[in-house]
Amino acid sequence: MTKPTHMVELRDVYMQFEEKKILDDLSLRVEPQERLVVMGQTGSGKSTILRLILGTLRPNSGSIFFKQFEITRLQRRKLQAVRQHMGMVYQYSALLSSRNVRDNVALPLEELTDKSRAEIDKIVDEKLELVGMKDSKDLLPEELSGGMRKRVALARALVLEIISLSETAKVTSITVTHEMDSAFRIGTRMAMLYQGKIIEEAEPEEFKQSKNPVVAQFLSGSTEGPILEGSLDAITKK
Amino acid sequence: MANANPPVLVAQGIGHLARNFFREVGSLFWFVVNTFEETFERIQHGRVPFRAASFFRHTERTGVDSVPLVGLVSFFLGLTMALLTGYQLQRFGTERLIPGLVAIGFTRELGPLLTGIMLAARIGAAFTAELGTMQVSEEVEAIEAMGIGPLRFLVAPRMLALVLLMPCLSTVSNIAAIFASSLICKAYFSIAFPYFLDLVKDSLLIRDIITGILKSFLFGLLISAIACYRGLTVKGGAAGVGTSTTSSVVTAVTAVIGFDTLYNVVYTTFYPT
Repeated sequence: MTKPTHMVELRDVYMQFEEKKILDDLSLRVEPQERLVVMGQTGSGKSTILRLILGTLRPNSGSIFFKQFEITRLQRRKLQAVRQHMGMVYQYSALLSSRNVRDNVALPLEELTDKSRAEIDKIVDEKLELVGMKDSKDLLPEELSGGMRKRVALARALVLEIISLSETAKVTSITVTHEMDSAFRIGTRMAMLYQGKIIEEAEPEEFKQSKNPVVAQFLSGSTEGPILEGSLDAITKK
Repeated sequence: MANANPPVLVAQGIGHLARNFFREVGSLFWFVVNTFEETFERIQHGRVPFRAASFFRHTERTGVDSVPLVGLVSFFLGLTMALLTGYQLQRFGTERLIPGLVAIGFTRELGPLLTGIMLAARIGAAFTAELGTMQVSEEVEAIEAMGIGPLRFLVAPRMLALVLLMPCLSTVSNIAAIFASSLICKAYFSIAFPYFLDLVKDSLLIRDIITGILKSFLFGLLISAIACYRGLTVKGGAAGVGTSTTSSVVTAVTAVIGFDTLYNVVYTTFYPT
């Protein structure tokens, strides 16, 4: 099997939970410094793609590569080392509820580096300043609003950048969302996931003009089109 | 399936249960092995596997906070045991056997067993609920995603706290029960405290104490492993946390009693007297 030159590659990935097929021989590539946005309905398998890349889920078949590493074949130990080069921001933030904002952001630095307390504090302050949360560092996650929690989670993910990247390197990102406005604002390439497959991939402007009826219906939020009736809620709510 | 033979259905059911049981036992075994492996690997790299503050928080919750419950329950049981056995023994004029009976009974058997059951309910349930909530709110996955081993970071401090604190709590249980029986002996059977102590010392062997301590370590490992395993394998949101917590307590209590029996069978085979 040839090793990929891409940052992330999913090759013929098949995944099902119990009887439900989630990903159907899906293939996807992410190039270095690219900001890929994967769009799709609720429950279409967008988050599953991220979990497969992180290696917290294993596919039924197919291969997943991160740089030169085949995630699906890595031992637990090696996988943990590879994960230190990835940063993940969760939909519901996933901050550790027993630790305050400062400790949440400092966690990867405390656990994965040999930096001193003073160095860690400096980095934490910088990252919290960047997301506008420096004044809230002594608060617990339960004392924050949803938006504030997300900003703290972003600061925590940005801290991982210090561990894994040199200062000049640019970040490659994969965002999964069904939120159109933000998707087009951040993406350099868009992909549409539907019935377990990537049915359309293009740059934002080209993607908006897509002739694919599923993409067209998804972007317009229309109730008429090929997308199944039962799946419309997520789109029409937008 | 409607026409299937009833004995076949029963055999299938038993087979299914047995398969699930062995799968769970295997998973639990590898869970413990992986926790040890992850922890020692970290130590080999010259780093602490978890923060001292985290460990001490768990020791305080597991040990210090459990002392009143363990002490009080053991005290009442010591009272009851001395009172009930005392009246029977008095009929044969052998009430001076009460101190030895309570001391050996608690040191070897009841102390570790009662403490194990109480901690399975009190601490095991707390560990499962805590880790289960972290699991359903994606906190565990976030830790994993950062490349931090959740077994050494979350499980190891809890496991170590319970393993180290179980013998201490068993000792508290033993002392509370023996003290309670001394009160009964003095009040009902006219056995003075110094004589009571002499009778305890005469009847208790070092072997009894070591047996109890070894059991306590084993129970601590069992309870913490089951509780943490159940917590980290929660599925299905808040309802799943509730189901897993119940399952954790039931499994841990059953396992403690089961292993206690097994331990006694093995022990009495090698040391029959």
